[in-house]
Amino acid sequence: MPIFNLSSFSKRLKDKEWGIRCVAYNNQSNRLAVSRTDGTVEIYNLSANYFQEKFFPGHESRATEALCWAEGQRLFSAGLNGEILEYDLQALNIKYALDAFGGPIWSMAASPSGSQLVVGCEDGSVKLFEVTPEKIQFARNFDRQKSRILSLSWHPAGTHIAAGSIDYISVFDVKSGSIIRKMVLDRQHLGVTKSRCIVWGVAFLSDGTVISVDSVGKVQLWDSATGTLVKSHLIANADVQSIAVADQEDSFVVGTAEGTVFHFQLVSVTSSSSEKQWVRTKPFQHHTHDVRTVAHSPTALISGGTDTHLVIRPLMEKVEVKNYDAALRKITFPHRRLISCSKRRQLLLFQFAHHLELWRLGSTLATGKNGDTLPLSKNADHLLHLKTKGPENIICSCVSQCGSWIAYSTASRFFLYRLKYEHDNISLQRVSKMPAFLQSAVHILFSEDSRKLFVASNQGSLHILHLLEGSFKHLHTFQPQSGTVEAMCLLAVSPDGNWLAASGTSAGVHVYDLNHLKLHCTVPAYNFPVTALAIAPNTNNLVIAHSDQQVFEFSIPDKQYTDWSRAVQKQGFHQLWLQRDTPITHISFHPKRPMHILLHDAYMFCIIDKALPLPNDKTVLYNPLPPKNESDVFLRRTAHAFKISKIYKPLLFMDLLDERTLVAVERPLDDIIAQLPPPIKKKKFGT
Amino acid sequence: MVQLRPRSSRVPAPAEAMVDEDQLGPEEEEEAEHGLLLGQPSSGAAAEPLDEDDDDDAPEELTFACAQAEAREEELRVRESVRRDKTLLKEKRKRREELFIEQKKRKLLPDAVLEQLTTASEADIKKSQENVKVHLKKESEHIAKGRNSKKVKIQEVHSASQNKSYLAVRLKDQELRDSRQEAAKHFIHNCLYGSESKRTTVNKFLSLNNKRLPVKKAAAQFLNSTWGAQKQQNARRFKKRWMARKMKKKTYK
Repeated sequence: MPIFNLSSFSKRLKDKEWGIRCVAYNNQSNRLAVSRTDGTVEIYNLSANYFQEKFFPGHESRATEALCWAEGQRLFSAGLNGEILEYDLQALNIKYALDAFGGPIWSMAASPSGSQLVVGCEDGSVKLFEVTPEKIQFARNFDRQKSRILSLSWHPAGTHIAAGSIDYISVFDVKSGSIIRKMVLDRQHLGVTKSRCIVWGVAFLSDGTVISVDSVGKVQLWDSATGTLVKSHLIANADVQSIAVADQEDSFVVGTAEGTVFHFQLVSVTSSSSEKQWVRTKPFQHHTHDVRTVAHSPTALISGGTDTHLVIRPLMEKVEVKNYDAALRKITFPHRRLISCSKRRQLLLFQFAHHLELWRLGSTLATGKNGDTLPLSKNADHLLHLKTKGPENIICSCVSQCGSWIAYSTASRFFLYRLKYEHDNISLQRVSKMPAFLQSAVHILFSEDSRKLFVASNQGSLHILHLLEGSFKHLHTFQPQSGTVEAMCLLAVSPDGNWLAASGTSAGVHVYDLNHLKLHCTVPAYNFPVTALAIAPNTNNLVIAHSDQQVFEFSIPDKQYTDWSRAVQKQGFHQLWLQRDTPITHISFHPKRPMHILLHDAYMFCIIDKALPLPNDKTVLYNPLPPKNESDVFLRRTAHAFKISKIYKPLLFMDLLDERTLVAVERPLDDIIAQLPPPIKKKKFGT
Repeated sequence: MVQLRPRSSRVPAPAEAMVDEDQLGPEEEEEAEHGLLLGQPSSGAAAEPLDEDDDDDAPEELTFACAQAEAREEELRVRESVRRDKTLLKEKRKRREELFIEQKKRKLLPDAVLEQLTTASEADIKKSQENVKVHLKKESEHIAKGRNSKKVKIQEVHSASQNKSYLAVRLKDQELRDSRQEAAKHFIHNCLYGSESKRTTVNKFLSLNNKRLPVKKAAAQFLNSTWGAQKQQNARRFKKRWMARKMKKKTYK
């Protein structure tokens, strides 16, 4: 099977805008909200193998600077456009945006009880908001300061607030709103005086200690009762940009602009004494660029920054069971599919934040042996560059199998285009007058014959449109089924056009009968979210991949799991298979070999051969390509169903175009790093 | 005293004499006219020929009555012309005013829409009560604290149609908001990547390790494809032309 190596044009993901800006950890549901510099907010479920369940698309004018959870499960964000936004986690859209009338908002913090929110603004005012069941309500302003309020922190009792500004920290009393203490910082650093000292983060402990991190590189402990400096730690040559304190207040974590994350712990002075002090215990260097945000969960340190990685480092002393769960997790690649493929015309549609690109694949006439890289006789062609109208980001997109329809959706509009090909030229025509119910889609899919369009909207309903030449007709809408929205909806359609599978609710995967337009059956619910769905060509088996690396096969006509799936569940997957970091994002099938299933995640692609025996924990999972002169006995002994290949650099997409060709889109890590903003200079001896 | 005949003065009569027709008597007017005509510095012989005519002939006999009549006519004429000018100006101003009023009328929305809006707003006043309260509260807070807030709260105008397809916003507010956001972004960029920060390029950062290896390796991004952009373009064009020539030669042969 000759394979085209497509690393000649790599996908430019505009990584400058993909850097992480803020992170907020919710203890109750063990979820992490991550906000990026382009305004996208992603929700990761840390207990479901760190899978990205939901996301809210970004907006050009939104520059989010602060993110916080309040009153349990409500998510708020505030940014430089001066507005406070609340996100609806069930409907997957923004509930409302409230202008705070203080100019750009730099920081936001929720009170320990969760019923109050306080924001720090550009004009130096600190505003208090009450969290009501539907909205938030402005309560009052605190004393106005001279310079912008860059960081805020509540006292655990909810009586005082520490606010970090430029060159000083102020402590407010919440009841009266007046300033009690003002602590002035020193701008000097080893003899070099900077023009200003910015307090990037503050934390208020219950014994009245205020911890501040500033741009000079110091971590300082102040006593808020007297306003004096207790201890000062100089930890970096560059800014220390973030701080997060654990709930038990015995440890906190800070992130610096050099990419180092330091862990501070409250340790007793001598082993027998009761006196304790804060000591810097562990440095972690997992980032190359600024660490703009950190969070402290009960068992792990979470950090994210400009280099777009999200690093979750479980702390060994807090983890009970020392198994693979205690390993470092680094989330770099998106957990959803951003590329769609048109098999008949050999086209690939790339989805970026503000535009779509359509490429035609190159071809080669040469032949070679296994493992060769063949030269291209016809280069890949950039057919279309489609820019979206408006400031919103694109949520999802799809190209039909015949290549003549493209559809994409933003948070408020849906776009459908018709493509016509004449002798190497392509013309685009927009289908205007979209129906009113089709506003924002979470997933879009075309049927195999390109006559029907399936749209999963964010309200939970599923729309089916019949596509005619240049226009469409609304066929049917499946109303939302019961169950809460657990994750983003995924769709899969069978090649013969009879069945449609939809996941996303807590009730399980629903399978709809398209001929009779009703619900056919529901796959039993599983407690981990679905990461990929696909229906096999002739057997109509639904293959589901979950975030804990389990793969199920469900027979739709029989309405039950297949025998092979039951056998796999009985034996269990190989240990190394379950320990993979990244979720499976795409499943496809070979048209002539019904026993093969192809799946891939970010670092490997695998062909599961259902005819071969399953591996148990003792066999080697990652078989290298057996050399030609190996004896048959050895081959028979080590052959098992999972054929895994890791020869590709990080994979974004892989699919079978036809029987003899496979397309793979890689995203090398070097390319990502090459486009990031400048890091802090490090001085190394001898250079 | 002997009433001497006033001689033609060497200096021309002052300008006021000519303009102020009401005050000037008929005789003085005449004299002034004369004065102007003959108002040239005479230098002996040169002035003589002009004066000669006057000196030889007898002075013209003008009766008081006809001179007075002439003067009165003159006055009337001047008054008429002034009146005409004033009326013309008045008309002009009137026309301009009317034009302005029309233009303003054209700018406003048609009456029908305005009526609808007012009735719709009255109907929806209950719905927006809360919003207005909250925002008014904020405004009072601002005023109470003595803040010089230039921003007026955006009054949500509920549209006449049911769809609520538009929202009336003051453009000045949006510009102010944008400029503040730009200033904030500039501030943070300056803090992190400004002149005081010690930043280096990604290439240098990644190549640092290569420099310290026992066998020194090249930098991580060794080639800079942007150098010599013009030369690269020339080379490409030359290659195309050379290929074309080669093809032509082949076919010719």
